[in-house]
Amino acid sequence: MFSYDFMQNAFIAGTIVSIVAGVIGTFVVARNYAFLTHSLSEIGFAGAAFGLWIGWPALLGMMIATSTASLAIGALESTYTKHDNVTSAVSALAIGMGILFLALGHTSSSAATGILFGSVLGISHRDLYLLITLAAIVLITLLFNYRALRQLSFDEAGIFLQTWKQKSVRYIFLIMIALSISISSQLVGSLLIFVLVTLPAASAKYYAKTTVQLIGMAITFALFGTWVGLTIAYLTDLPTSFFIAVIEVLIYLISVLQFKKNA
Amino acid sequence: MIIKTKNFRVSYGDKTILSHINIEVPAGQFLAVLGENGAGKTSFIKALTGENNQTQGLLTVNAKQIGYVPQFRDISRDYPLSITEFVGLNFNQGSRLWFTKTEKSAVEQALKRMDLTTLGNQRLGLVSGGQKQRAFVAQALVKNPDLLILDESTASLDHEHKVQLLENVRHLQREKNMTVLFITHEIKLVADFADGYLLFENGQVKQGSSDELQTLTTDLTTRHSEDEVRNV
Repeated sequence: MFSYDFMQNAFIAGTIVSIVAGVIGTFVVARNYAFLTHSLSEIGFAGAAFGLWIGWPALLGMMIATSTASLAIGALESTYTKHDNVTSAVSALAIGMGILFLALGHTSSSAATGILFGSVLGISHRDLYLLITLAAIVLITLLFNYRALRQLSFDEAGIFLQTWKQKSVRYIFLIMIALSISISSQLVGSLLIFVLVTLPAASAKYYAKTTVQLIGMAITFALFGTWVGLTIAYLTDLPTSFFIAVIEVLIYLISVLQFKKNA
Repeated sequence: MIIKTKNFRVSYGDKTILSHINIEVPAGQFLAVLGENGAGKTSFIKALTGENNQTQGLLTVNAKQIGYVPQFRDISRDYPLSITEFVGLNFNQGSRLWFTKTEKSAVEQALKRMDLTTLGNQRLGLVSGGQKQRAFVAQALVKNPDLLILDESTASLDHEHKVQLLENVRHLQREKNMTVLFITHEIKLVADFADGYLLFENGQVKQGSSDELQTLTTDLTTRHSEDEVRNV
């Protein structure tokens, strides 16, 4: 299986994406941003379609759209309490626009499917370098702000006497979510971001008791799903995203059931 | 004096919330902060901590470190962090993934002071309400504050746990000579613990001693029961 270049690339990409998703997912789940994350991925779809229409790389369009949207939602969040409503309105508009851009750009249906469901087996060496660069940016930024972000995510109410730097963490975090979504969509597509960003971290919550443990568990679950998913997809010639989704959902269900039984 | 104000005024937008505040709080006192909802208690505390700077007049706060226990926290049953990790969240600067030795011993100290040593490894989401409140206080203690502000920390507890929490806090105050501002509606409960009070009423702040607090308690509680009778 590893004798094929495309499979090597797929495994490297899958590993990078799983690590980024596990790390950002831990904070996303702790801060209850699962819905925001899902909506951002839909907005990412519109951005990618826009990119293809005007001749940019899909990933660039996606990054611009998700970053802008996450900042806009973050800014609204401080004044509106019910930010879920704002978020769903924005994402409905985004999907509509995505369809429009696909039609305007006469984008082929295979390109559209790639955006929506991922195209991990089509990842080139150039894509890989870009992916590694973006992943490094996200991981280093998160590490740099680790403690402020940890408090923001796990105990926002306890934040007291913030420095200017700590206040900026909210926005840094939103942009990092946007970038992570753009990265992850390469693997599972924008429709299944949940599968790698939210589900492994949500499962980890039922086993781990410290932030570092949570991150470690989330990465492990994400990696497991990705590696096994890629392997089965290779053997069966069926879509990778499907297998990753099934594995992550199973892990999640088992975690919840076990927690219910013990708690 | 750890807190001193002279002709101090707190506003919010165009609205004056409190004016002519003249109080002097000596270090090491346990003060009950009383007043109806919306009387300006939180606005005043925010002015104290420097979060609200729409103020006029003189305010001196001589605290090196302020600890604050907020009123609302949403900790669901599946909240993952252990009490130890939760208490350590207060170390909120830098990028270190694990606690330093100093931080670790500070966390252990704070847990010990709130009688939580044996519960440190428990998930915060699964402990009782009283234990959660003690963990909240422990988190505020972790940076060794000389001024501790608690915002209605006893509100959600049953009587036994209310008393236990207050005893814990009073012990701290005496042992460490810590100044405690205890925001509460439960005047009767706090009257046995406090060295004095700050009463927020009609845009003013009145300061009184513990004896006056006892009188005030009888006063307010009788007034309240009369109200109740009238409402029936």
